[in-house]
Amino acid sequence: MLLTPEIITILALDFIFLFFGTIAFFISINIVRFWNLNSTSNRQYKLEKQSFLVSTIIKYIFIVKLPLFLFFIFTADKLSDIIIGAMCGAGVVNSVSFGSTMFFFKILNLYIFGFWLVLNHFDLKNENQPYTRYKFLLYCVGFIFLLIELYLDIDFFSSLDVSKLVSCCGTLFSAASSSSFSFIFTVNKLYFVYIFYAVFALLLISYIFKNALTILSLNVIYIFISIISLIVFFGTYIYQLPTHHCPFCMLQKDYDYIGYIVYITLYVGTFYGISGAIMSLLERKQEKFYYNISVVFNIAYAAIISAYPITYYIKNGAWL
Amino acid sequence: MIELRNVTKEFKVGANDKVVALKNINLRVKKGEIVLLKGPSGSGKSTILSLIAALNKPTSGEVIVDGKRVSKLADNFTSLFRRENVGFIFQRYNLIPSLSAKENVIVPLIPSNPDDDWLETRLRELFQNFSLESKMEVIVKNLSGGEQQRVAIARALINNPKIIIADEPTANLDKKLSLEFIDILKKLKNGHNSIIVASHDPLFFDLDFIDRQIDIHNGEIL
Repeated sequence: MLLTPEIITILALDFIFLFFGTIAFFISINIVRFWNLNSTSNRQYKLEKQSFLVSTIIKYIFIVKLPLFLFFIFTADKLSDIIIGAMCGAGVVNSVSFGSTMFFFKILNLYIFGFWLVLNHFDLKNENQPYTRYKFLLYCVGFIFLLIELYLDIDFFSSLDVSKLVSCCGTLFSAASSSSFSFIFTVNKLYFVYIFYAVFALLLISYIFKNALTILSLNVIYIFISIISLIVFFGTYIYQLPTHHCPFCMLQKDYDYIGYIVYITLYVGTFYGISGAIMSLLERKQEKFYYNISVVFNIAYAAIISAYPITYYIKNGAWL
Repeated sequence: MIELRNVTKEFKVGANDKVVALKNINLRVKKGEIVLLKGPSGSGKSTILSLIAALNKPTSGEVIVDGKRVSKLADNFTSLFRRENVGFIFQRYNLIPSLSAKENVIVPLIPSNPDDDWLETRLRELFQNFSLESKMEVIVKNLSGGEQQRVAIARALINNPKIIIADEPTANLDKKLSLEFIDILKKLKNGHNSIIVASHDPLFFDLDFIDRQIDIHNGEIL
């Protein structure tokens, strides 16, 4: 296994998550099974105390996981210096067959654990703690995903081979790639741009009408269309290269680390949109605070990525 | 009204041992009532007070204050409950020695950020009632024991609590100051507050203004 200080840090934190997460998992199962706030039994008081312990563990996991995800990307990027053929984190992540799956679980877990915190906040805001069972049930599901992520993490780092030749991002993100998402390069890229702006416009309209289900659906669609349009169109303007579609390279110093701002903005915007919509459905009242944050960040994301092609066109008088 | 229903409280001692501080306690304190909990040290008096004030949760059973099940409240709500409903008078005063008398009295109100005019009026009223007008700006560590006790009482009353809890309030006072405290306690009886005093000081045993005396031994009401 390749053991750099960064990999040791990630694996050490993974084992800490595993240890505390497992404790929290077993307690959560008990809470889901036996929770009854009306009961004055010894078991219920014990569960109430334990629910605070588990909440603290889950908060800790999320608070560490959020920067750890960025650190993972940074590490993958750094490893590209020693993995033959890799030009950035994309090559490193895709040097194993399950690289994309691992990445998917990492992002999914950020949404699940983040939403758990929102649910916990709403639960503790109410004296009757109406979401206690749901939030611990959600954690039980999240823990399974966390286990998958941790397993893939360990498998990923132990599979890294410095002597093996891997594909660079230029090959991975092209129509020639054998990956599952290569089909996006066979479609006219402008279609994705139109869909992106159409979804963005619908999203803004949906915030005006505040229909929670529409906001929820559009935010989920917005995540996917944003990433696809970033890969096929907007990214090329960040790199100023029509053939370069890598979603990782923009995280490098050469591009002023703009990728971090782009992805964090997209995450915050969609996370608050999705969480606000789910909580509006559960609480049966509009969560304007969440929607407002979502609108600001979703607009910021669209503005940032749109600024690149517009600036390019103003400077050069032509599109890529 | 304060009600304890089938309350048991156990404390873990070490890995396997436990101490049963209260055994299936049932108790009611009516609005405006002054109740004395008496019994030797370790009998469970302070545990009852801590449960009523939602500082602690029972092992089983429940504590209800004005219809609210305080023992079932989450921590963020118990803080709010204490802030709005409970005034504490401690054995060792628990004043902040580096602050003035006035600042100590204001401390419980900091989270609620009260109106300045209301606060000034309330402070003047309290300090007058306890003959402390000239001591408002004095750092409490420079006050005498009796004055510190009165500042502690003023602090307990600043938010007009529904429940006043006094845990061994005279344990640190000489007889003269203890009688002074008892005199203040008498004045606090106004029909609106429930006052619960835990003490094994014999000075409390023959007071006519105390509505009820409850004997506690080994965690049980006799």
